[in-house]
Amino acid sequence: MSALTDLIPAHRPSLAQSLFAGVVVPSLCAIGVGTLMQFGVGPVLGDYWTSVGVQVGIAVMLAVSLNIVNGFTGQFSIGHAGFFAIGAYIGAGVSYYGALLIWNDASAMAHGAPLVWNNSKSWLFGAGEWLMIGGAILGACVAAAFGYIVGLPSLRLRGDYLAIVTLGFGEIVRVLLQQTRPQVFDGAELREMSAGELVIPPLGGATGFSSIPKYANLWWVWLFVAVVVFFAYRVKVSSTGRALLSIREDEIAARAMGVNITKYKVRAFVLAAALAGIAGALYAHSGNVLQPRDAGFQRSFDCIIFVVLGGLGSISGAALAAVALSIMTEALRGPEPILENWIALLILTAVISIVAAILRAVGNRGWRITLLMAVTPLSILLLGLASKFFTDATGINLADYRMVVYALLLIVVMLVRPNGLFGLTEIWEYFGPERAKKPPTTPPTASQAAAAAPTEGSRP
Amino acid sequence: MSEFLLDVREIGISFGGLKACQQLTLQVPARGLHGLIGPNGAGKTTAFNLITGVYQTQTGSVSLDGVHVHHLAPHQIAKAGMSRTFQNIRLFGDLSVLDNVRLACHLRGTHTLIGTLFRTPMFVAQERAIRERALKMLDVFDLADLADEQARSLPYGNQRRLEICRALATEPKVLLLDEPAAGMNPSEKVALAATIRQIRDRFNLAILLIEHDMGLVMDICEHITVLDHGTPIAAGAPREVQNNPKVQEAYLGEPGAVL
Ligand SMILES: Nc1ncnc2c1ncn2[C@@H]1O[C@H](COP(=O)(O)OP(=O)(O)OP(=O)(O)O)[C@@H](O)[C@H]1O
Ligand SMILES: [Mg+2]
Repeated sequence: MSALTDLIPAHRPSLAQSLFAGVVVPSLCAIGVGTLMQFGVGPVLGDYWTSVGVQVGIAVMLAVSLNIVNGFTGQFSIGHAGFFAIGAYIGAGVSYYGALLIWNDASAMAHGAPLVWNNSKSWLFGAGEWLMIGGAILGACVAAAFGYIVGLPSLRLRGDYLAIVTLGFGEIVRVLLQQTRPQVFDGAELREMSAGELVIPPLGGATGFSSIPKYANLWWVWLFVAVVVFFAYRVKVSSTGRALLSIREDEIAARAMGVNITKYKVRAFVLAAALAGIAGALYAHSGNVLQPRDAGFQRSFDCIIFVVLGGLGSISGAALAAVALSIMTEALRGPEPILENWIALLILTAVISIVAAILRAVGNRGWRITLLMAVTPLSILLLGLASKFFTDATGINLADYRMVVYALLLIVVMLVRPNGLFGLTEIWEYFGPERAKKPPTTPPTASQAAAAAPTEGSRP
Repeated sequence: MSEFLLDVREIGISFGGLKACQQLTLQVPARGLHGLIGPNGAGKTTAFNLITGVYQTQTGSVSLDGVHVHHLAPHQIAKAGMSRTFQNIRLFGDLSVLDNVRLACHLRGTHTLIGTLFRTPMFVAQERAIRERALKMLDVFDLADLADEQARSLPYGNQRRLEICRALATEPKVLLLDEPAAGMNPSEKVALAATIRQIRDRFNLAILLIEHDMGLVMDICEHITVLDHGTPIAAGAPREVQNNPKVQEAYLGEPGAVL
């Protein structure tokens, strides 16, 4: 049989073909997603839910990126927020101080000509937004570099060390951010600062980093969500992805098959850090004051829940968990914002139900999941109502107890489905024509299983 | 350079006080089919682990096609042309049958993150070639119809065959099989014996085989090494080994017993 290297030349596509399929189509898709969210979904949602939509997008990016490490590779990282915060502060620094130096005015919305974000009615971008993109890329690079520095030593060691090291890393980032200088609000003052003074950058310290121009609208965030999902998916279905999955399945077998496991673990870690950095940079531009605690354990834990709940290895599963839990958190605050939008909710439910009915009629397996999605918005509404009654009756605000709810959910899922709701499977893999039932495969008989059983534990 | 494709000299390891494998020497020529036998706990699997780099040998050397490999990591040894199966099947259970084999094609290519993220022509060509080759390999083992099944859902016999198929997809020069017939019924064993011979001829390999089933070993191996309590006690052609009193004693506790 011919060797692999001999087979490769015959399969080579032209540069134009691969540029089209590899770059042009996904870029157009990403722009399409952003545009749909901004002009299709945004206006229906209204201002409050639009800002929730921005946060949901960021949560999805975090979930999908962490899934590369915790899901695909099976390494347990619990410091993802550290990379997120690095991206956030670098993105904020570039855009805020860039604007201050260039335009002497950091409320650079004014400079985001010709059209800037105002109530999701406009979307074309200007110079200030390019600064945001530059900051996001730089943030991703720096986060990736940190990923490498943290990952290389700890990924050589046993699994649990990684958890400890990443936890420590997140805390270190948080404490260092607390020690930064106060934010500078004046361009002239900034110019006069000496290089020595800038060794500790003026990132606001414990007070936080504020007044960052608010460019991150639905368009930008969901465009990047699409990019991140594309990247993660491409990794998953490539040789690199199979190498990562093989590490998660069985390190000894993976090595015997020629996988350099340290190299691939580090690669997963670096990529996840970079994508978290992008998420951070967008978060910085979403109207929040950056706080050192954005690097803390709380946010890392949120990401872990998304991944573990949605499916270790399922991109769409983790994304769905991120969306559902983020919205659920809002619903716990009370049903008013949801009730405001009840018409939209009804339309959404109706549309999805009709789709489910059609799928069922044509014999597509996906109808159950579609139906589930139709029920979700309504159940979130119910949750909101229930939460309101509870708060009225007891004076306890359930939103404060979000972590308790999360933890309970997590326990249930871990007991029922240890690999998360979707495991490795992507949601769209549930769609497709109903397959004829296959005859059940014979599991190994007791004697075969006994013969195959390792004599001592997991020794090779 | 030695005339042997796989040249193992006096390797050994002890775990604490337990001398799991000592002073093991064995040589397999190109296209050779050698056996490694011994009672339970004799150290056969440990020998495989030493040869493939899972454990670092404390003495001696291993060379593959004239190159020392005993100081290399397992993935480097795999790349140098050594592949193996495991006594307790180690497939990637959550992955599909096809993906198990595609993963094994991995080490003959170059995989960059940039190529993966942007799907460069080189990346695309390589992924397609890997797919083509993996499907061909599955075809050889009559597993092509099961390509999309989860590996763990396969029946036992097919899992064993898939593991051999996966090992071969790495394009090895030497193949190490650790009890491939374990748990098989007599007719499956006959089929397996034929398969092993075919593999050797078709892929031009040297094969080193651990097996408890004496009939199978005596039938297909040209040369046999016997281990007992971690030390080699005999080596030679199947007939000689079978008639060796030390071997009979190791197996049945008395010289002169018939194997
Ligand atoms: N990693 C290890 N640590 C400690 N002891 C080990 C280790 N690996 C193997 N041993 C011991 O070394 C001895 C040889 O084990 P090995 O698995 O090589 O035997 P084997 O010949 O393959 O036996 P079997 O026919 O049962 O597969 C056994 O006593 C085993 O308990
Ligand atoms: Mg063994």
